[in-house]
Amino acid sequence: MAIDPKFVELINADIDGEISPADKQTLEALMADSPEAQAMQAELSGLNSSLNELPDLDPPVYLKHTIMASIPKTEAQQRRSNFLHSIFASPAFRYAAMFAAGAILTLNLVSSDQLSDRAFSDVTGLVGTMSSDVPDGPGIQSTRIDRPEVAGRVTLRSSGPLLIIDFDLVSSGPVDIVASYADQTVWFNGFAQLESPGASISAQSGIITMQIEGKRRYALFLHNAGDRNISINLRFMSDGEVVYDTDIQYAQPGQPG
Amino acid sequence: MNRPDDKNLVERCLKGDRQAFEALLVRYEKPVYNAAYRMLHNPEDARDVTQTVFLKVYENLDQYDPSQRFFSWIYRIALNESINWLKKSSRQEALEHETADHGNGPEQQAGDAQLGEGVEAALMTIKSEYRAVIILKHVLGCSYIEISEALDIPEKKVKSRLYAARQLLQERLTQQGLH
Repeated sequence: MAIDPKFVELINADIDGEISPADKQTLEALMADSPEAQAMQAELSGLNSSLNELPDLDPPVYLKHTIMASIPKTEAQQRRSNFLHSIFASPAFRYAAMFAAGAILTLNLVSSDQLSDRAFSDVTGLVGTMSSDVPDGPGIQSTRIDRPEVAGRVTLRSSGPLLIIDFDLVSSGPVDIVASYADQTVWFNGFAQLESPGASISAQSGIITMQIEGKRRYALFLHNAGDRNISINLRFMSDGEVVYDTDIQYAQPGQPG
Repeated sequence: MNRPDDKNLVERCLKGDRQAFEALLVRYEKPVYNAAYRMLHNPEDARDVTQTVFLKVYENLDQYDPSQRFFSWIYRIALNESINWLKKSSRQEALEHETADHGNGPEQQAGDAQLGEGVEAALMTIKSEYRAVIILKHVLGCSYIEISEALDIPEKKVKSRLYAARQLLQERLTQQGLH
């Protein structure tokens, strides 16, 4: 027997906790005499429980930063950002470079004290390996960053003699990233940028400094000809203060890091 | 749902206070993302829609009517953006085919986890206007009157859509042997 639409409404309202006391009494009277209404209420209660238990998902950690980086800045913030930009482009950062929008570029720019007698590998073909969703697996180490100043993911992996550090980051303001390593047989081999312009970089023996602002995806290439185990310290600095500090390690396959 | 300081944050945003906007973002990022995800069933699309929603909120804050609840306004934008996204990408039809094929085998018809997956899949098979009321009710926890505000439809229509949506979901789950 079909249930009166009025009672269907009451059953739904009851399940939703939005039934008046008077309607509740009416419903209870109906339920007592109607196996169909009882069955309907049981079915709807089950469905509602399933809907209420749908898992709550966390948005990506970098989303907040992406959004904040997308909204227009106030004039004062814009002036501050421009000032930092001009400082970074000054002669004091003689090895700094800016890259063109939308293009994928590789950079062979290093300080002479480290590499003047060494040839660079062609890293152009590796740019396409940059990915925001690099799977974890052997030879891959990944770290997630979730700080108010900077968020995203840094992934270290190897390809032949090259170590590739992928950065997929968003910052709410200018952030300096200092990558340092002690092994002097490892040298800086290049830098590639995807999607957006504006990252600056300088390299000296064992220390590479980058500055980012906003959403950035790029890769840093190190040449590790001896396939040696290496530890790279990454420091993220905002307004001169370290906001995140971590080490990432490369270990030869089959060896501990 | 009672958030008396939303309006204060909006006022501060309108005066150029980015921190106030960030506070609104922190408060509503997760519900907006979840609403978009349940509408689109795709994390990348949900992420992009969430970003678009907050940019629209920022750009149109001066059009927000303070006599409305802020969350009703932002949820409306989120659901409209999700529906527009579906239309633009013509994904609705694909989703219906894609999800209708899930979970039909008798071997897949047991357990709470499968029921949860079945509910998620069934949700994607109903019209977006029905899905929106279900999301507002069960994902965002809105009352009838709040759903009415968010969708800008009479409360009576909220109830009829909600009941129809549940009936459709029930039928889909029964077809899949999950209810």
